[in-house]
Amino acid sequence: MALPGSLDALIEALRCLPGVGPKSAQRMAYHLLQHDPRGAERLSAALSTALDRLCHCSRCNNFAESEVCERCASPKRDAALLCVVEMPADLNIMEQTHAYNGLYYVLMGRLSPLDGIGPRELAFDRLLARAGDGVVREVILATNFTNEGEATAHYLSEMLHARGIKVSRIARGVPVGGELEYVDAATVAQALIERRDYS
Amino acid sequence: MKQRFDNQRAYLLHTYPYSETSLIADVFSREHGRIPMLAKGARRPRSALRGVLIGFQPLELGWFGGGDVKTLAKAEWVGGVPLLRGRCLLLGYYLNELLIRLLPREDAHAILFDAYEEALATLAAGTADAPELRRFEKALLREIGYGLTLDKDVRGQAIRPEAHYLFYPERGPIEATADESAPTLAGKTLLDLAADDYRDPRTLAESKGLMRQLMAHHLNGQTLQSRRVFIELQEF
Repeated sequence: MALPGSLDALIEALRCLPGVGPKSAQRMAYHLLQHDPRGAERLSAALSTALDRLCHCSRCNNFAESEVCERCASPKRDAALLCVVEMPADLNIMEQTHAYNGLYYVLMGRLSPLDGIGPRELAFDRLLARAGDGVVREVILATNFTNEGEATAHYLSEMLHARGIKVSRIARGVPVGGELEYVDAATVAQALIERRDYS
Repeated sequence: MKQRFDNQRAYLLHTYPYSETSLIADVFSREHGRIPMLAKGARRPRSALRGVLIGFQPLELGWFGGGDVKTLAKAEWVGGVPLLRGRCLLLGYYLNELLIRLLPREDAHAILFDAYEEALATLAAGTADAPELRRFEKALLREIGYGLTLDKDVRGQAIRPEAHYLFYPERGPIEATADESAPTLAGKTLLDLAADDYRDPRTLAESKGLMRQLMAHHLNGQTLQSRRVFIELQEF
C-alpha cells in the first residue's frame, strides 16, 4: 500500500542530505514524526529561517545575514591581509589558530577540471575584484594541499601577480610535535623538496 | 569469482564521494586496466588512505571482490615522482580524462600504462610537454584499437613530405586536391608524427590539431571538461 503523500514527500526530501539513502530517510522521517515532533518543528523553522536570512557576504563570500558580515566589517581586523580558503570549515580552523588577524575570502570550492569546476563556476572574477580593492597588500593562499587545491593556488597566484598583488602560500610539512618515523612518506618527501635555509 | 590482488602498480585517475565517509576511486592499474574501487572510510579524518590516495603519484594497491566495483584493501605510496604543478597539473587532468572517457573497464593495457607513466614523469619534470602528450595520445588510440596509419594514404601510396593531406578518422590520410578548402596537413607532419619527431614547429602545431580532431571523433562530441577549464583559465 502506498504511503500518504506528505510522508512520501518528507522521505524523498530527506534524501537530499549527503549519505542518506531511502532506508535512512525513512528512519529519520518516522523518528521525527513519532518520537520528536517538537524537534521536527524546530528543524523546519530553522531551515526556513536559514534559507530566508542567509546570503553570501559581498566581501568574503562566506554565509552571512547581512550584505557585509561582522568579521569583514570589524575595524579590529587587518584589511591589508586577505586569506583565501576553499570552504567555510577551513575558515573556522584558521580562526581557531588565533594566529591570524586579517580578512578572508571563501571560494566555496576548488578547481576540479574532471568535475567541470573551473574559474567561472568558482567566480574567480569576484575574488580578483575583492583582492584588487587597493587596501589588500598581501593575499595568503590557504587552499588544500591536494592536487585540486594546488591547481587552484597556482592559477590564483598567476592572476593576482599579473594584477600586481603580493601572493604567499601557507607552508606544509611535518606537523607540529610530529616525529618523522610516524609521518607518511609523501609528506616527508615534500618537506624535503621544499626544505629551506636554517639559521 | 572472488579474487584478491596485492601489490599492484596503479595510478588514481579520479575519486567520487560515496556515502558519508567513503570514496569510489577510479584506478588505472598496470596489470588489470581501469577498475572502480570502493575505498571504505577514506574520507574519515584519520583515515590511513587520506595521504596516500593522491592522483599522479605511483601507488601500490591491493583489492578484492567479484563485482564491477572492487573493494580497496590496501594502498601504499611508492613515490619517486614530484607532485605535478601549475599548468602541468592541468595537462595531467587532461590525460586522466582521456583515460576515463575512452578506456573500457578491466582491460589490461600495460603499454598504455607505461606511456602514461612516462608522460607524467615528463610533466613532473616540467620540460617540453607537447611531444609527450602527442606520444600518449598515439599510444591511447593504438591501444583502444584505432592505431593511426601515418606512412601510407588510404590507397596504400607512400606519404610524400611535400604533399598535403586530409585525415579521415578510422581510415587515414587522403591526398588533398589543390582547391581543398578544409584545413590540410603537410605530408611531413604525418611522417614526423609517425617517427615521434617534433622539432619542426609546424609539425607540433599540425599534429596537435590532428589529435584534437581525432579525440573529438572518438569522444562522440562530448566536451572534455579539463580542456574547457584549461582554456577558461588562460582567458583570465
